[in-house]
Amino acid sequence: MKNIVLTRIDDRLLHGQVIVSWIPLLNIDEIVIVDDEYASDEFMANLIKEAAPDYIKVNVLSVNESAEYLNSGSNDTNLLLLSRYVENIEKLIKLNVIISKVNIGGLGFCEGRKKYVNAIHMSDLELDILKNIAEKGIAVEVQMLPRDKAIIL
Amino acid sequence: MTVLNLILLSLLYFWCSSTALSLGIGYYTLYRPIISGMITGLILGDIVLGMLAGSIVNIIYIDFISTGGSLKGDQCLTAIIAATAAIILKLSPIEASAIAYPFGYAGIFIWKYRLSINSIFVRKYDEKYNSGLSPNIAIYDGVLPQILLYLMSTIVILIAIGTMLMLKNLIVNESIKHILLLFGIFMINISIINVMYKIKNNINIILFLVMLVFVCAFNISSNIILIVLLIILLFLSYKDFLFSLYTKTKTHENKILNKKDLFVSWFIWMNFSHSCYNYERLQGMAFAHSMKNIIKKLYKDNETRMTTINKYTEFFNTEPNIGTPIHGYIISLEEDKSLGNEVADIKYMKKGMMGIAAGLGDSFTQVVLSPLFISMSLMLSLDNKYFEAMIPVLLLSGIIIFFSYTGWMNGYYVGRDSLIERINLVKKSKIKLFFPLFFASILGAVTGKLIKLNYSIIIDDLFNIIVVTMISIIFMIVKTKNKGKILR
Repeated sequence: MKNIVLTRIDDRLLHGQVIVSWIPLLNIDEIVIVDDEYASDEFMANLIKEAAPDYIKVNVLSVNESAEYLNSGSNDTNLLLLSRYVENIEKLIKLNVIISKVNIGGLGFCEGRKKYVNAIHMSDLELDILKNIAEKGIAVEVQMLPRDKAIIL
Repeated sequence: MTVLNLILLSLLYFWCSSTALSLGIGYYTLYRPIISGMITGLILGDIVLGMLAGSIVNIIYIDFISTGGSLKGDQCLTAIIAATAAIILKLSPIEASAIAYPFGYAGIFIWKYRLSINSIFVRKYDEKYNSGLSPNIAIYDGVLPQILLYLMSTIVILIAIGTMLMLKNLIVNESIKHILLLFGIFMINISIINVMYKIKNNINIILFLVMLVFVCAFNISSNIILIVLLIILLFLSYKDFLFSLYTKTKTHENKILNKKDLFVSWFIWMNFSHSCYNYERLQGMAFAHSMKNIIKKLYKDNETRMTTINKYTEFFNTEPNIGTPIHGYIISLEEDKSLGNEVADIKYMKKGMMGIAAGLGDSFTQVVLSPLFISMSLMLSLDNKYFEAMIPVLLLSGIIIFFSYTGWMNGYYVGRDSLIERINLVKKSKIKLFFPLFFASILGAVTGKLIKLNYSIIIDDLFNIIVVTMISIIFMIVKTKNKGKILR
């Protein structure tokens, strides 16, 4: 089973905040991006892989592939799990992937979403999903950068 | 201080902190303390003293990166106040920087609330659009946020300068000045130690010390250091530049749009990318603003024009100069679409590409290029080479514009692969790889020049300055240790 150091929800995926702050801080050496859409889009998958630092292994996988990948293999790497959608994390939990903490780093405004705090916007459905996750005993926190104070949902 | 001075200073602070209306390079030039201090000096009649005070403030803020809020104040406001204090109250640059430091926090007010306040203009635009009217995006992205910012800047600068002048009698007093000097030295020490800690590596520390000692002992001219540095930088990066200039296979030809349309769109983006920056859509309004001329040319029907522009106001955020292939590519898609051709999903492409470009872009322009060139300017300015100090700043501006413009055009003509190409180029950049070595050496030279410049002050007060330096070292050790604890 893979050692998931951080699970982050951010619709910018591998953004500057992640590359400059979180990756060095947590000594990340492997990234899994859970995304059905990008997993089947060669250009986007390529783009994401190119953007990561060279020493980091990046996999862009669909939800089912991710669950299989995360539940197998050895735990010798520090893995960062990234997703654009809270739904994907819920699905992974249902597929028995062990996630101890969910970090919400950036959810931009779009139709149906309301402002939660600064750069975090969520629909009622998304908020409900996160509350469900939190009820399972998984810590759900809003924290853009390591130096920001974490807001517990 | 005349009324005209005050008006000019408020205009200056507005122009510097707006980062708009300055071809996208304002953030790398006007906003930096060395430049804003210099222009303050120009307004108040002592350009050299203004620049020196700005340079000292710049050293205090040399570890500034804007990914998220900074714990320090607003460097640009601090520089304007420091230069004013140096000239009007006749303080030394270090004393002036120390007294200006607390005022920097007043500027945070603007940076913090701007992102919330600008959402108002988004809402006003939405209201108007939803009620069937045709709102002009240029007004909601450009004019209104800029007027509001000007008013906010004026209030902040008047309060800051007013408070400082009221404290005049208190400040101009030998023992207070002495305390200010020691506080200034403390702030400079902390900033330099902080940078050295961040790029920790024995080679970097050795380079720093070697440069420091060499500059102090042999009084090496900073012109020579500049020339050597530029030659090394050119040697490391000329291939990347040649590669960028090399014409690639075009995948898209001009159909309805011509090069001038692309240029106008790029020009608007460069001037307004952060004009209406807000938490809700970040650069969304600016993206739509930059598409205005394109859409007007592609669609003749007013209704289609409005709905298409509105589509582009959705959330968008990227590094504004490295990420430009996205814009070029999106423009080419919109052009094809207007001709009735089947094209990739614009919304999906834009969203997917922006985050990736932002990640690598910020870690290059903000973390590597700008500290590298700005620190070179600092070294020259502290060596009384004011004219030469402009060279690195101009080079930095040139590089930013080059990146931005070529990206835009390649995005349009070459297509989306030009973004992958660019990401590769930035990632493999030798300048990025060797940046810590460069930065440590330049900082060594900067510190050396700073000591030389203030030699007589330091000798006069050697004991106290050594004590302050010891305190700052202990302070930083305690601080970094505590930080480690929290993280664990």
